[in-house]
Amino acid sequence: MSAALQVSGLVKRFGGLVATNDLSFSLNEGESLGLIGPNGAGKTTVFSQIMGELRQNSGTIELFGKEISALSTPQRIRAGVSRTYQIPRPFGDMSVAENIRVGLMPDDIRRMIFSPPDTERERELALSVGFSEEDLDRTPTELAMGDLRKLEMARTMATAPKVMLLDEVFAGLTTGEIAQISDLIQSMRKDGMTFLIVSHDLPALEPLIDRAIAIERGTMIAEGSFSDVMNDKAVQASYLGGA
Amino acid sequence: MGLRWFHFALWGGLIAGMFLLPQVVSNGTLRTMIFANYLAIFAISWDVLSGRTGYVSFGHPFLIGIGAYTTAILTKRFDIPVEISIPVAVVFTMIAGLLVLLPALRIRGSYFALVTLAFMELLYQLVQVIRPDLTGGTRGMSGIQTLTRGAANGYYLSTALMLAIAVSMWLLMKTRLGTALSAIGMNEESVRGSGLSTTRLKAFAFLTSAMIAGLGGAFYVHYLGSLAPRALFDINFLFTIIVAALLGGTSTIIGPMIGAFFMTFLLEYLRPVLPGAERYFVYGAIALLLYMYQPKGIVELVKRGFKNLSKGRTA
Amino acid sequence: MLQILIQGLLLSGLYALIAMGFTLIFSIGRVLNLAYGAYLMVGGYIYFWVSQSLGMPKLIGVAVAAALGVLMGVLKYRLIVKTLKGDHVAVEISTLILAVVIQAGIVLVFGDSSKILLPIVPGVINVAGASVTFNILIATLISWAILLGLYAFVRLTHTGRAMQAVSMDAKGAAISGIDPDRINLITWGISGALGAIGGVFFASYTQLSPSMWVAPLIISVAVVIVGGIGSILGTLVVAHIVGFLEVIVVATLAPELRGVFTMLLIIGVLITRPQGLFGREEL
Ligand SMILES: Nc1ncnc2c1ncn2[C@@H]1O[C@H](COP(=O)(O)OP(=O)(O)O)[C@@H](O)[C@H]1O
Ligand SMILES: [Mg+2]
Repeated sequence: MSAALQVSGLVKRFGGLVATNDLSFSLNEGESLGLIGPNGAGKTTVFSQIMGELRQNSGTIELFGKEISALSTPQRIRAGVSRTYQIPRPFGDMSVAENIRVGLMPDDIRRMIFSPPDTERERELALSVGFSEEDLDRTPTELAMGDLRKLEMARTMATAPKVMLLDEVFAGLTTGEIAQISDLIQSMRKDGMTFLIVSHDLPALEPLIDRAIAIERGTMIAEGSFSDVMNDKAVQASYLGGA
Repeated sequence: MGLRWFHFALWGGLIAGMFLLPQVVSNGTLRTMIFANYLAIFAISWDVLSGRTGYVSFGHPFLIGIGAYTTAILTKRFDIPVEISIPVAVVFTMIAGLLVLLPALRIRGSYFALVTLAFMELLYQLVQVIRPDLTGGTRGMSGIQTLTRGAANGYYLSTALMLAIAVSMWLLMKTRLGTALSAIGMNEESVRGSGLSTTRLKAFAFLTSAMIAGLGGAFYVHYLGSLAPRALFDINFLFTIIVAALLGGTSTIIGPMIGAFFMTFLLEYLRPVLPGAERYFVYGAIALLLYMYQPKGIVELVKRGFKNLSKGRTA
Repeated sequence: MLQILIQGLLLSGLYALIAMGFTLIFSIGRVLNLAYGAYLMVGGYIYFWVSQSLGMPKLIGVAVAAALGVLMGVLKYRLIVKTLKGDHVAVEISTLILAVVIQAGIVLVFGDSSKILLPIVPGVINVAGASVTFNILIATLISWAILLGLYAFVRLTHTGRAMQAVSMDAKGAAISGIDPDRINLITWGISGALGAIGGVFFASYTQLSPSMWVAPLIISVAVVIVGGIGSILGTLVVAHIVGFLEVIVVATLAPELRGVFTMLLIIGVLITRPQGLFGREEL
């Protein structure tokens, strides 16, 4: 059986800076993997390469056994992988419902025109991330950071991914919102979703993942269970030095 | 927001009103309205591309010009009937639209606006030197076949064309496609990140915009009966189109229409006071102030007015 | 051949002068000031009014034009650019509208017909069979002098270095105690003055007319785009590419095609190398 996501020998250079250094890891279907590392370690850059927003210098990325490096971002999303952004990027002048609508659209102009939006599914997604009925018509300018992150989750879920990459899911959220998003992730895990999660909030991350990998300056420094990784000397040194 | 009965009632009222108008107004006013109709078509065309997707075109006269020149040359130099020349002109304009799409695949914002400006200037210079026997060179062309005779007929034709374009664009933009195009204008990366091929969406917007520009340009030249490169590929003309769309309200259909009529009649009423090009002074100043303080245009002002009214009533 | 060389050098010098003020704004504020061509036009007309209508000394004419240029630059920054807070497209659309307003204002004051400026420095000299007017020769020399002065200003003075800092990284500059607002204001002022002076020479090279602002704007745009984000040296190099291209086309193909290759250059470079030929350089 092939892994849901398999990254091998990934290298990304920005000029002289090696942002991803020979990184390999794999993620089984239904598994949830934590990706940790200090600020600037290269976590977001890994996400961008998996999504095709950045092209790696070398290495391969396989999704369910299929090499996706040659695909465009929309093609990769159709192949079943989707991400949230560290800094939410909503459509500023559109309502919450319309934002989600964009995620739900088929990549087919004829169907965009001739089949109506699935407002029921929009509502369902919005409610599942914790929005209320009244929120559906609000615009992102009226939303707080926590709501923007929820919207980001909902729009990502709307693309019907099999593998979800979550970047700094808990940044800027209140404890109540963290619990809400955690519950959502847990219930999706029960339904078999595969996750790769980046978070600085380690206590909140721990219950959501099966395994963790730690990177520093683009290089993997530890891999294993959450507690193994946290007890690793290199990880402790990098967190003390980096934080 | 879906389709509602009052949408159709409003459109029906507008269409009926516009077609009854020649019964009550003078021929002079009708001629002004013909210009407003064509300007509305051009502004809708600009808005489909620039107002929605945020790819600001400073070269729309380039597209309009391709449409106008193609049909003018085909009918006048080769005696091809308009039933054939106008569709050909539209197709040519759409091909030109693909040419403009090319830079939009790599650049946006200021740079894109400038390339389109360069396209306009390029065509302006080329029509004057390449085959002046066909294009009429610097002097342009006159004696181009006209489609209608008399102000009322010209008005009916331009109104029918404008309303047909407006209603079909309105229906199109009400669909999810319209939402997707507007989303590109707000955040193109997020549209890709939602799994949509922005290249295909942009191509669609460029082709649609070019099609409308080509239709408008072709019918316009067959209304005027003449065509002059300096008047066509002119920053003042471009400015009038953009300002009409901006003032009315971008990303809407009614906005560019309102803007076009507002601007045309403003220019017309200024004529007795300021007979020459100085009119643009007042016109531009009003446009600048309105744009800077209400970039969403007249439609937004009206919406707010209504909101305040209904608030006042419920309170 | 020699004639092309001489004419190319002269025209390029003029173009470098015209483009400089435009480049400056672009490198500091990353905004394209589409009313820049209108500065040139106003500069030319004011010079015409002061020196030819009022009969004042020519130097005063240039000084008044430059002063008005500073005023226009500063006002535009204060009233438009700052109000629209970094929305580039809105600034561009507003400056385009402003250009049309200024054009209409010129028609209102000076009328529609074009006017001939007397040469600022009369006289002709014959170089290798090419007749060269003192006028354009002086324009070129002044252009070089201004460019050198500007280069020295940016490299050597405190304000100049602050401008460099803002151009590279506005936020970083603000953190290190530079007031980007003040720097922007100074830059808009300098740009206005450069534009107005460039306009005086450009007008004496062609003629004054209410639509004269489009051509120099396009040239400035070409220089910025082809050169990449405005470096003074890049500006100089590309002004020569554009100038020579034009002179060669006029001499070997047809005078009417003079602008065509400039346009093709803009389109070609933007499509293939959006970052410009020389990339993002410092000022
Ligand atoms: N587009 C880019 N160009 C140059 N350097 C970049 C770019 N994106 C990220 N970097 C650099 O790569 C490193 C890793 O960044 P990032 O992946 O955002 O880290 P993290 O998400 O772990 O905080 C940082 O040093 C950052 O400055
Ligand atoms: Mg990050």
